Amino acid sequence: MTDPKQAKAAEAEAIERAKQGDEAAFEVLYNLHKRRVYSLCLRMVSNPAQAEDLAQEAFLQLFRKIGTFRGESAFSTWLHRMTVNVVLMNLRRKGLPLVSLEETLETDEETPRKELGAQDMKLTGSIDRLQLQRAIEKLPPGYKTVFVLHDVEGFEHNEIAEMVGCSIGNSKSQLHKARLKLRDALKFMRAEKAEKT
Amino acid sequence: MNCLEVQQALPEMMDGQGHDDLEYQAHLKTCPMCSELVAELELIASTAGQLAEADEPAPRVWVKIAAELRAEGVIRDTEVAGRPVLVPAAKRRWNAWWLVPVAAALVAAGGYFIQPRPAVPVASQDAPGVTRTETAPVVASNEAPRADKAVAAAQNQKSTVAAARDESSSNAPLMTASTSDQKLLDGVSPDMRSAYETQLRAVNAYIRDADAYVRRNPDDEDARQHLMDAYEQREMLYQMALDHVQ
Repeated sequence: MTDPKQAKAAEAEAIERAKQGDEAAFEVLYNLHKRRVYSLCLRMVSNPAQAEDLAQEAFLQLFRKIGTFRGESAFSTWLHRMTVNVVLMNLRRKGLPLVSLEETLETDEETPRKELGAQDMKLTGSIDRLQLQRAIEKLPPGYKTVFVLHDVEGFEHNEIAEMVGCSIGNSKSQLHKARLKLRDALKFMRAEKAEKT
Repeated sequence: MNCLEVQQALPEMMDGQGHDDLEYQAHLKTCPMCSELVAELELIASTAGQLAEADEPAPRVWVKIAAELRAEGVIRDTEVAGRPVLVPAAKRRWNAWWLVPVAAALVAAGGYFIQPRPAVPVASQDAPGVTRTETAPVVASNEAPRADKAVAAAQNQKSTVAAARDESSSNAPLMTASTSDQKLLDGVSPDMRSAYETQLRAVNAYIRDADAYVRRNPDDEDARQHLMDAYEQREMLYQMALDHVQ
């Protein structure tokens, strides 16, 4: 395992070299952060090709502005926020809702089928990460944005509200409803699996 | 608090306020349905936090980023910083990869967009640094080892490369080309000019890096080979441009 202090020092050195235009330094920074940036993009858009384009755009924006990085915040925080902005901008351009008030209203269509006895299944122990990943992919865009930013990426509600342009209360409400939807979806998956076996 | 009140307050309670709310805590202790709901939602949230960094982008993403940064001049000649850009052999080999698709794409684009014209003999062009002998070390005498040809080509290109290096610090796109590049670009049709200009700038930058590295490491065969490859790519770009001068 790499010592976090050494990793931090290596990153700081790479940032300084990148400011001089050193290609190897850019590559070091890219390799340090590519997984997190790409994963964030992929979860937000659920499309690998689009996620690659967005990750590329996020890194390009970052590297173009690297000369202005003064180190007041962590480099990863800066990059992370820039990535979110690139993704949200992309969603806005496509007219997709970042936060949808309509989606907070439950309808029969949106609610997973429960005839398999899904309500009786309990999510005890642990949750299969692959199943959770699939359930997140199926969330409506408005719910997905807030859930990914808060529960997966660790942003606070005030940060999310600022980024997506909604109230803090709305962000909390969207997150709660997203979790409820995921709970239903995961129970449905478990019930479906149990019925097959 | 009853079940309905608890469930309505959950968005706030699960955001931290629930820890201090005695009524809420008391209800969860006595209501298995609400406590199960809260436990499951917390489990989803905690599992989601472990999902981060699960995927990795394809290698082509970095290839595109590097090519774009180089074309924009964000990646610069790092000789200034006292570091060779082309350090490990694997990295050098990788750095040259993008030149091939770039040239191939230009060939395809040139064939598609530009009306074919009779080829202009290279030697007759009034771009002094662009003759086949100077820019194509591969056509030089086969008696000399390939590495020596690369060095000879590097010597022949010295003035052009030096000019390009001097001019590369400017942000104005047209000012980054050498005199011979500029003469060539002046003859290319306007719709293709920026594409040629960008690619020439990128190849010139690569040649500068490779040339500097070869001079510091004259025994590195890999580096010499890459330098020669870069000159071949440059020659190819010149040929394509010269074949389609206005």
